[in-house]
Amino acid sequence: MASLTSRRRLASILAVVVVADVVAVVLASSAHAALLSVVMITIALGGAAAATTPGLRAAHPVTWRATLCAALVAATLWLTFFLPATTNFNLATGASMSIVLLGLSFLTGASGQISLGNGAFMGVGAFAVAIWANHHSSTPIIVTLLIATACGAIVGLLLGLPATRLRGPYLAGMTLAFAVAFTAILGSFNSWTGGDSGLQLPVALTPPRWIVDLFHSGTEILTTNSMWLADISILVTGVAFFFMANLFASRTGRAMRLIRDNDVAAELVGISLPRMRVLAFTISSAYAALGGGVYALINNAVSPSTFTFPLSVTILSLIVIGGIGTIPGALIGGIIYAYSANVISWITNNSGLNPQGNLASQLNGIIFGALLIVTMLFAPLGISGSVHRMWRSRREHRRG
Amino acid sequence: MDPFLTSRFVTDLLGGLTNGVEYGLVALSLVLIWRSTGILNFAQGAMPMFATYIGMGLLSYHVGYWPCVAISIAAGFAIGGVTERVLVRPLYGKPEINPIVVMVGYLIVLEGVAAAIWSTTPRSLPIPFSPIEWQLGGKPIALSPFDVYVIVTGVIVMTAITILFQFTKLGLQLRASALAPEVSRLLGVRVGRMLTLGWMISTAVGTVTAVLVASNFFTGLTPQVMDSIFAFGFIAAAIGGLDSPVGALVMGIVLGIVLQFVTDYLNSNSVIIVALVMLIASLMIRPSGIFTRNASRRV
Repeated sequence: MASLTSRRRLASILAVVVVADVVAVVLASSAHAALLSVVMITIALGGAAAATTPGLRAAHPVTWRATLCAALVAATLWLTFFLPATTNFNLATGASMSIVLLGLSFLTGASGQISLGNGAFMGVGAFAVAIWANHHSSTPIIVTLLIATACGAIVGLLLGLPATRLRGPYLAGMTLAFAVAFTAILGSFNSWTGGDSGLQLPVALTPPRWIVDLFHSGTEILTTNSMWLADISILVTGVAFFFMANLFASRTGRAMRLIRDNDVAAELVGISLPRMRVLAFTISSAYAALGGGVYALINNAVSPSTFTFPLSVTILSLIVIGGIGTIPGALIGGIIYAYSANVISWITNNSGLNPQGNLASQLNGIIFGALLIVTMLFAPLGISGSVHRMWRSRREHRRG
Repeated sequence: MDPFLTSRFVTDLLGGLTNGVEYGLVALSLVLIWRSTGILNFAQGAMPMFATYIGMGLLSYHVGYWPCVAISIAAGFAIGGVTERVLVRPLYGKPEINPIVVMVGYLIVLEGVAAAIWSTTPRSLPIPFSPIEWQLGGKPIALSPFDVYVIVTGVIVMTAITILFQFTKLGLQLRASALAPEVSRLLGVRVGRMLTLGWMISTAVGTVTAVLVASNFFTGLTPQVMDSIFAFGFIAAAIGGLDSPVGALVMGIVLGIVLQFVTDYLNSNSVIIVALVMLIASLMIRPSGIFTRNASRRV
């Protein structure tokens, strides 16, 4: 790109966008679908082009992050129009999980702490959505999700206030106790949480009329429904990532990273350690609750048996494998989560294990636990961090 | 004859004491490792569980209860030593979240492997002592021969640990390598070996607890049997102060008794909530723990 002048670059981008749009229009089944495809492709390619413009990242970081997020979201949304129902459902699940992972990644990357209770915080958000929806079914989704996020933040603040003031493993231990206790806590509010069977959402999330009309009249309702679920999750995920990327780079984010690297130095330059630690934990809990809320919307039901301690460990494994403390790590972890069930059942089917046997039922936990240990011992940066380091050392090598 | 011994108060007190001894032992084993290596071992429930499965698995081969207990404890020593050498050794001097993450992974692997080998169905062990409570004037006292077994075992383990650490040369070396590893090394203490030994002792103490818990008629042995006991043990250790073995024991027993009253007067769901609230309150009021001397942080 460096050899092209900016005018030639602009012209070639325009050409690519126009060609892609024309192809989409020719292939589209109806006028509406063609219009939608054109909009999505233009945003995706235009955003990608804008995001790769030299100098934009340094000069206008917020704009750069916004265009990058918009481009990624538009590209994924466009993809969901063509994907089969199961893939879309996996995509939606992975997107909701990546929001949770982003919160945990931020907590560790920014303040060097760790939470073992993110599964329970997910449960807080999921039950907040379910309870609210059962009492006020007409509330818009966005408001319900904001309520869930606020609930997560409040619970996080309550737990974090005492534990984050201390150095050491107090936060980890306390969040572990919270994760173990969560089922019992739900059980003490049986009249609200619906007991062991959990709660059903009163109305399933269905796409508005005009979305359904875009497709062939013959398209199954299931396909459009799961596509709509994926679209909602991806939109929420995009917004969540945009805010988090800005937070990582902000003054607060920089202060938190200084605490992680050298807390004594941070105190000396006037950063309030306890306040920053509590803030980081509260934000991470709020993100976990938001992810849990989206999870509740996707599954249309919540049950206490989902949000047990093993879920918290799975969350921890995913972000450690993806790359703890990084933003792309959360995306990688979310994708792994979306397909982990398929991969594990593939292993079970192709290794001659008895699918009803003891080993097959424990395979998920054993694999995630072993990956957690191996990653932490041999590549503590995870996929994203290791790739980034490799890429950087190669670039430095090339420069000489 | 004496209505006081069968009153609700004494019943709760005695019932809580048995649980409390178990919490206290887990808390003690956590503190032993924390003091020597600065790691909070999240697999401190799972490692003893695994050792107990290894030892008690021999019951199906017509080995008696007591030999099985001895083999479990030996397995505990072995697992503790191997874990320290293989998993923990590479983690010294790393950021504090690394050992936490590795030990949580280890916990899940151990529980998964145990469930894969021995299934998740609770396995009931032969009871060495009757769990039927003694009667006094037609009313039960909340104390059975089994409860006495638990309490006496707890006292024996605590005494043994105290004697080991306070009155033997080995105990002195163990304490020295925890407090000042560099100086100890200069004076000829094999610090590396002492750390391994510390993990072995701690896991063995945990295994005694796991055997006691699993021998209980009402729980039996399951892969997850130590999860909630670990949570209570951690809470006890954190309230008492992670540096203080005495604090861990005392707070374990206090926690057991308080929670028994909670079970009796409220319900069993509230137990862990009350325990969490106690932890939050104690960390707010006295963050370093009730029983620790106030230590200032080195910069």
